[in-house]
Amino acid sequence: MPDGSPKPETEQRSLRVKVWRGSGGEGGYETFEVPRQPSQTILDVVTWIQQHSDPNLTYRFACRVGMCGSCAMMVNDEPRWTCRTHVDRVLKGDELRIAPLRNLPVIKDLVTDMDPFFDKWVSAEARHHPTADRHSDFAAITPDDPHRLEASSGIECINCAVCYAACDTVAGNPDYLGPAALQRAWTLFNDARDEDGDAILDAVSGTGGCHNCHSMGSCAHYCPNELNPMTAIAGLKRATARRFLTGRGKRKPS
Amino acid sequence: MTVQLERHDTDILILGSGGAGLFAALHAQQAAPEGTKITLAVKGLIGKCGCTRMVQGGYNVALGGGDTVERHFMDTINGGKWLPDQDMAWRLVSTAVERIHELENEVGCFFDRNPDGTLHQKAFAGQTADRTVHKGDLTGIEIINRLMEQVLSRPIERMQEHRAIGLIPSKDGDGLAGVLMIDMRKGCFRFVRAKAVLMATGGGPTMYRYHTPSGDKTMDGLAMAMRAGLGLRDMEMVQFHPTGLLAGDNTRMTGTVLEEGLRGAGGILLNGDGRRFMFDYDDRGERATRDIVSRAIYDEMRKSNTTPQGGVHIAMSHLGPDNVSQKFPGMVKRCADCGFDLAGGKVEVVPTAHYFMGGVMVDVDTRTTMDGLYVAGEDAGGAHGANRLGGNGVANSTVFGGIAGDMMGWDVSGRSLREADETILAAEIDRAMHPLGKTGGNVHELRRKLQDVMWDDVGVIRTASGMNRALVALEDIDAELMDTGVSADNLAFNLTWHDWMNLRSLLDISKVITQAGLARENSRGAHFREDFSEVGDLNSSYFTLAQMHGSNLEVTRAPVAFTIVKPGQTILPDSEPDTLVAAE
Repeated sequence: MPDGSPKPETEQRSLRVKVWRGSGGEGGYETFEVPRQPSQTILDVVTWIQQHSDPNLTYRFACRVGMCGSCAMMVNDEPRWTCRTHVDRVLKGDELRIAPLRNLPVIKDLVTDMDPFFDKWVSAEARHHPTADRHSDFAAITPDDPHRLEASSGIECINCAVCYAACDTVAGNPDYLGPAALQRAWTLFNDARDEDGDAILDAVSGTGGCHNCHSMGSCAHYCPNELNPMTAIAGLKRATARRFLTGRGKRKPS
Repeated sequence: MTVQLERHDTDILILGSGGAGLFAALHAQQAAPEGTKITLAVKGLIGKCGCTRMVQGGYNVALGGGDTVERHFMDTINGGKWLPDQDMAWRLVSTAVERIHELENEVGCFFDRNPDGTLHQKAFAGQTADRTVHKGDLTGIEIINRLMEQVLSRPIERMQEHRAIGLIPSKDGDGLAGVLMIDMRKGCFRFVRAKAVLMATGGGPTMYRYHTPSGDKTMDGLAMAMRAGLGLRDMEMVQFHPTGLLAGDNTRMTGTVLEEGLRGAGGILLNGDGRRFMFDYDDRGERATRDIVSRAIYDEMRKSNTTPQGGVHIAMSHLGPDNVSQKFPGMVKRCADCGFDLAGGKVEVVPTAHYFMGGVMVDVDTRTTMDGLYVAGEDAGGAHGANRLGGNGVANSTVFGGIAGDMMGWDVSGRSLREADETILAAEIDRAMHPLGKTGGNVHELRRKLQDVMWDDVGVIRTASGMNRALVALEDIDAELMDTGVSADNLAFNLTWHDWMNLRSLLDISKVITQAGLARENSRGAHFREDFSEVGDLNSSYFTLAQMHGSNLEVTRAPVAFTIVKPGQTILPDSEPDTLVAAE
């Protein structure tokens, strides 16, 4: 997705913005005329519509800076953080098309129900299984430990569901856990402090698990944080195969 | 018109899912008897709204290497300009040690390490030791992601996109019966009774033209607490961050933080004439503390020495664009996404309202004067006094959130649900429905008006005449708001209705900030009075206390109790050096 700095300011005075409206599985696009501003993100465009044109438009945002992952939508058919997408970057002619994030149920207009995404996060055993408690010392782990580097490679995920929306495997198989949950499982699997690598491998090797991934790479292509869930999923595939062949689950750090 | 009211019961109800709310949920579950029902209600999505997630810097905790809890305590008291509640500050710094171990070992956070595998700690401004534990400059994401995973995988009832609008006392007045909420998705009211309620909705001074907090933060918690008659302390204390992005009035990017580290690394501030001005104000130049840099920028703005959008420039390019990109990748990328070249060019910045030190009066166990109500995190006052140190915010929310969970877990045993005062419940519903079906007015223009008033007259530099002018303007805005309507065609996820209620809360608390600002006739920490620019006698320090009496808000002064250390003294041994931080 990164494509250099935004192009210089265009001459346009206004934007024609098609916005998906509806709820309960029914709806369609409505068109709004929105004035062009020098500093203008997609979130600013939907905000302008709600504040000036249609007070009933519903969208979701929180942090405004790409940390919370609440505001992702489909922008010209591609999943993006709307708070960090400058209009210049995505404008084709004078038109924009904005829709709720793909692969999730729509609550209303541009807002999706993210519960299925997080339910899968939980199903992938994507939470720490402690080996120590608040009365123990911190684990001495050096920053260059190879398992740590592997664990850290995906750690900046903000669960925005952009990869989940981008994934055709999710679209074709509603049971598939999806790139974000699997990447998180890989992060935890590689954590020397995590007790239950076997539970993680069990969770990711079932019917909706890592082996569904066809390595199409949309997750890595669209991740706004430039993470690579596809590599993490490949790691899980190797780990589950190794366990199948050797009967050994988690490698203990050397 | 009538709107549906649904009723629901639980045992423990937690409002908010930042560091305080999520920790409370985990601790309540550990402490409460088996079978206790715990409900987490939040205005947005669990773990996503609120501000803990946005923590960049880190978590202050004394972990040895010469640093001590006593030293952390003294830094907190000095940083708070002798106004903190000392027992709360002590509870904060001492419990932080256990809490950080819990975060690493039980919750699963992994903080940055030294080459030998021990935790890396750095020194923030105002600290005398390398004390701040962090995960790069995205510490909040690490903490909230991990807490969220733990909470989501436990049997805790979730009420997402449920906005709390009223604390409803019991019929006999002996405590809290429950909380009135709006199920935002459905657009109906839901009254949830509970035996114990934690309010951890976060403060968030978004009534200023420039502000950093998350968009959902609108002081709802403090406004509810005030209406319920609770005492609010230090309400004049609004912390401004000196470098918020300035990108025009029409973008939500404006006001968001450009991190402190930019100035620390050698970033310079230039006024509209392109002149470096910080040394006119302080010998440390751009490395002066947040309050001083904010006031200096504000002063340049008052003299109209400004950039095209009315702020100043921050410039980093003299440090080498590649070097800047390498050192601050997140900041550079964020600016680039939004059309600004931080590494090689100049970016317009402005002071921006960041954190609210004021809050509900609580004891060290998060209890309030209302039986059944607990308050933690930014909604609670006392721990920070006049100024919060960078790194003490997330320590505060996680420490006291956990304590609240413990207390509620223990307290619910043997307690029963209370009958609500139905008259107050009905009045709170009426209050929320006030704009529905009315026509006229524009809530968004009105919010801008409020933000201008607060910025101009109750902002970085204050005077009695300015604040008195603001009080009049706030009453005018209030009258206009009550005449401003919202279409009632569809209440499901009606953001404009919520914008009206957001403004209602912000306006209520703006008045309190202004009155408290008038009551403090000296300059301490975040509060600067041009007409009373002296710190004042430390030994007779007072804090402001705001409370409703009938329909009147009264602001009084109460003496600070120096329960642990008196001004001019220290609890550090005589042999201890002033600072352990190596000079640059």
